[in-house]
Amino acid sequence: MLNILLDILRGLWETSGLYGLIVTDGGWKQLVMIGVAFFFMYLAIVWEFEPLLLLPISFGMFLSNLPVVNIEDMIFHASYWNEPQSVEWLWKVLHDGGLLDKLYLGVKLQIYPCLIFLGIGTMTDFGPLIANPKSFLLGAAAQGGIFFTFLMASVLGMSAAECGSIAIIGGADGPTSIYVSSKLLDGANSTLNTGTIALAAYTYMALVPVIQPPLMRLMTTKKERAIKMPQLRTPSKTEKIIFPIIVTLVVALLVPSAGSLVGMLMFGNLLKESGVCARLVDTAQNALMNIVTIFLGISVGATTTADNVLNLEFGKVMLLGVIAFALGTMCGLFLAKIMNWISGGKINPLIGSAGVSAVPMAARISQKEGAKADPTNFLLMHAMGPNVAGVIGSAVAAGVLLSVIAY
Amino acid sequence: MDTMLKAHSLLLMAGGSISGDQKPLTNDQRWGVTLAGLGIVIAALALLVLVIFCFGKIFDSINAAEKAKADRKAAEKAPKPAAVKAVAPAPAPAPAAPAASPAPPAEDEDEVIAVISAVVAMMSEADGTTYRVKSVRPASGFSGRSAWAMDGRRNNVSPF
Repeated sequence: MLNILLDILRGLWETSGLYGLIVTDGGWKQLVMIGVAFFFMYLAIVWEFEPLLLLPISFGMFLSNLPVVNIEDMIFHASYWNEPQSVEWLWKVLHDGGLLDKLYLGVKLQIYPCLIFLGIGTMTDFGPLIANPKSFLLGAAAQGGIFFTFLMASVLGMSAAECGSIAIIGGADGPTSIYVSSKLLDGANSTLNTGTIALAAYTYMALVPVIQPPLMRLMTTKKERAIKMPQLRTPSKTEKIIFPIIVTLVVALLVPSAGSLVGMLMFGNLLKESGVCARLVDTAQNALMNIVTIFLGISVGATTTADNVLNLEFGKVMLLGVIAFALGTMCGLFLAKIMNWISGGKINPLIGSAGVSAVPMAARISQKEGAKADPTNFLLMHAMGPNVAGVIGSAVAAGVLLSVIAY
Repeated sequence: MDTMLKAHSLLLMAGGSISGDQKPLTNDQRWGVTLAGLGIVIAALALLVLVIFCFGKIFDSINAAEKAKADRKAAEKAPKPAAVKAVAPAPAPAPAAPAASPAPPAEDEDEVIAVISAVVAMMSEADGTTYRVKSVRPASGFSGRSAWAMDGRRNNVSPF
């Protein structure tokens, strides 16, 4: 009788989460990850750091690191995502996978990033870019962070897929990072995964106000920061309607692999600018964006298991990620300084840093820094041009990487 | 130059010229991707600059022609009224407002004066003092922008 009772208690203990934490090898890692998840929840709720994404990601992280033996079977199978994609694999995920496995298919099959770009398109005003097309160049220069980081990562001995996935963090564009890494990293060719890349990308996007200002002050003089730019012209409605069509055409012809991202971005923008699809615009920028954000956040968060994150490789991702971000900012500032010099002091170099995507945070930082130098300086709309050009630029850069690296 | 040529040949092979598993990359490959990648992004966006710039010029000239046409028609139909020199009435004589200055050239001067007078009247009711608007002139703010424009801009960017 006593033996039976002890067996039952032992069985309960061995299947409990506490046993997993204390006795199982690596249980402490899960505990650390749960702590990290709580920290991210704190950042999202109390400090409101990108809460719409950070909160779902942190809860997904929390769920996938719970030390309950069966929970992995219930909601997420980390092992599925280390297998090459095939029809059998897809069937297995759909048949045997948990809820988060099925939601993660949207990431793995590059559905969510494109839908997010659709929503971003419906919310973006390309007016400042149309009014000042030179801003495109700043959006292009800021992508230097991506390619120089590719160079650095390859020198560190990483594989081409890893280099491309880490480098794209420099574009400061979450959906693009997810798009590229989910194509390049198939689980078999790297210890990295899309979740870790997304985590690094969104962490640095939330830290734009911390990373960019010191670099901006370092690379510009107070006199340059105080430069006032003339008011932009207002583009006509026809120009705004033609713009997304032209951009899609040019980008798809030059870099076809960027077509899906840029195409969806411009499709969303065309819906908005046409003025005749109010219902679709409303759905794309509200309901659809919210649904995709929830699915994306929680499923990407679930991939950040202790084994994936608590290792040296993730440390390299974080380090190279911040370098990529800083290099992107510096490249944008550098070109803006050159343009300022060529124009005879008419361009405030601060708008160059907005060439990294991170819309509209990077443009806000340019505005803030400009206003610090001269409170009557209004750079916001001037910075929005490079900022939205950065979205297009990072999508084109993603297309180039996907063209060159086989996946 | 050699690296640039290699970068160019790398791009011609695009469509997966480097295996994702390849580790480490050769020196040519890493420089090729870096230079060619950045070059293509800049070239693609520079092409967009050119196209959008040309479109902007075309639309500017179309818009300017349309505006000139509309202005001509408006001028033919209704000649501009003479500039208003008068000053809006106010509740009662009282301490004077700012010093007189040249009349503003705005076309909708009457409406502006009416709005200002209404605000002055409201102020007058609120603090029990009577004011009289003697003249209205545009005030220049910082950097040559009007006070209205400055205030509007401040309001727009204050959330950021």
